[in-house]
Amino acid sequence: MKAIEIEGLIKEFDGIRAVDGISLEIEYGEIFSLLGPNGAGKTTTISILATLLKPTKGKARVNGYDVVTQAAKVRHSIGIVFQDPSLDDRLTARENLDIHGRLYHMKKDERKKRIEEVLEMVELRERADSLVKTFSGGMRRRLEIARGLMHKPRILFLDEPTLGLDPQTRRHIWNYIEKLRDEGVTVLLTTHYMEEADKLADRVAIIDRGKIVALGSPSELKDSIGGDVIKIKCSNADKMAAILSSNGFNAMIVDNEIIIKAKKAEKEIPRIFSLAKGIEIKSIMYKEPSLEDVFIHYTGKAYREEAGDEMEAIKRRWRMRR
Amino acid sequence: MEDEKMMGDVYAVYLRELIRLWRQKVRLVTTIVMPLLWLGVIGNAFNNAFKMPFKGDFLSFLTPGILVMTMVFTSTISGITTVFDREFGFLKEMLVAPIKRESILIGKMLGGVTQAILQGVIIIILAIIMGVNFKGVAAIPGMLLTMFLVSIAFVSFGLAVASKMTSMEGFQMVMNFLIQPMIFLSGAFYPTKMLPSWLKIGVKLNPLTYGVDAMRYFAIGINEFNVVIDLMVMIVLSIVFILLGGYLFRKS
Repeated sequence: MKAIEIEGLIKEFDGIRAVDGISLEIEYGEIFSLLGPNGAGKTTTISILATLLKPTKGKARVNGYDVVTQAAKVRHSIGIVFQDPSLDDRLTARENLDIHGRLYHMKKDERKKRIEEVLEMVELRERADSLVKTFSGGMRRRLEIARGLMHKPRILFLDEPTLGLDPQTRRHIWNYIEKLRDEGVTVLLTTHYMEEADKLADRVAIIDRGKIVALGSPSELKDSIGGDVIKIKCSNADKMAAILSSNGFNAMIVDNEIIIKAKKAEKEIPRIFSLAKGIEIKSIMYKEPSLEDVFIHYTGKAYREEAGDEMEAIKRRWRMRR
Repeated sequence: MEDEKMMGDVYAVYLRELIRLWRQKVRLVTTIVMPLLWLGVIGNAFNNAFKMPFKGDFLSFLTPGILVMTMVFTSTISGITTVFDREFGFLKEMLVAPIKRESILIGKMLGGVTQAILQGVIIIILAIIMGVNFKGVAAIPGMLLTMFLVSIAFVSFGLAVASKMTSMEGFQMVMNFLIQPMIFLSGAFYPTKMLPSWLKIGVKLNPLTYGVDAMRYFAIGINEFNVVIDLMVMIVLSIVFILLGGYLFRKS
């Protein structure tokens, strides 16, 4: 049995496909990341797995239970940290955890003991009896993670856990997520931060427009695009790309830059210069591929972390804090 | 076993409401300023200006009406804020927990009812201080029962309205076009006998009239209708609103 099994999952909203035939399996104990731009279908997928939405077509099993017919059992098996804040900020940290424990039918002694454990884990013990209203964004996030773990779920869903947090806090949260690996919790993490998936995940599924475009460990994915990435800026990108393509390179234009892959980039660069007759090369660089290059390779388009949407999310969160 | 579990779930939801209520105790006091103005100013002013068409003073006549008015306002608003919980995310936390939707609904309703009844009790105490003549200790169970029925009905009504509502402007509409007329036509502020006959039709069709009548009967022993009919109307109203509110809330 796998922790999560998804088969041909489809979700339509008014005829628009948010999730378009996703299939994948996640092992117990794995940290698995769904990586993709905003609107790729990550949150919809998590919502289906958490039994908050019903799939239009396809099947999904979580901890061996069907998400449609055995919803209550699925809910007992999972913890979830939502993308939007969901703490009660008029309650203290301890009260938030206690109510959560009650909702998951934990006995009184069990709740008491577990509250200390999870607060210890996210280093919030001293603030246990402060109102959540007084917490910073990072502290709230940590408390939400603690709450997600409160009832000892086998599987934890983290939907954009570091969205809108500053880099330092983000690193802090990453540390906690890495600790989960030691606890044997299976983690399904959605993110649109490449770095986050690269750093944390054992395996990554890159998703775009509701479809999985690539799946594997971060290093497998980076190897799969075949060597280094060379980026060229020049006076006539179209013409240059055509020349390169006719000379055996696989050239792609993304954002007015030419991108080619090469096994040994340092040997190919002199050839590129000799081919560029009459075209001025403004800059040329090469690097080892990142997950961003993997995304570009499989979707043929630039990856944007969509700052606009992120600002919206930060604003939303800020409003809620008041 | 299942029932026991559900009790625990309802209690968990209700407990949160109680903690929130406790944290907002200042608001609990400030929201009774309005009813107190009615009693203290209007009540006392009219007390001396008019002779009532039956025994007793105007202040004692007005108090049950103000109690019902407070129940209606507080309950409707608390029903509406339940739905706004959705915006603040905590509802999601409860929806993903392994509990029945009914438990959430019942826990929340009880929270709203508790808040309304607490305010009612404060008003009763202050009214006694102002010299209102209640029927004594015997008045208490009947008054509590009426408060309960009115508030459960209007918490559910608030839920129903808010489930269909998308903005706070909608809330103003409901208050101005539904709640206010219902209160003004309920005989909360004056004996309905004094109205012209065409307005009396509105009074008779208004379910709240019977709530006010029951409250007045239990509180000071004055009533226009049979109190059994009053209570029947309130029970039917509660059931209809609970079903409607529950249905719309679940659907939204």
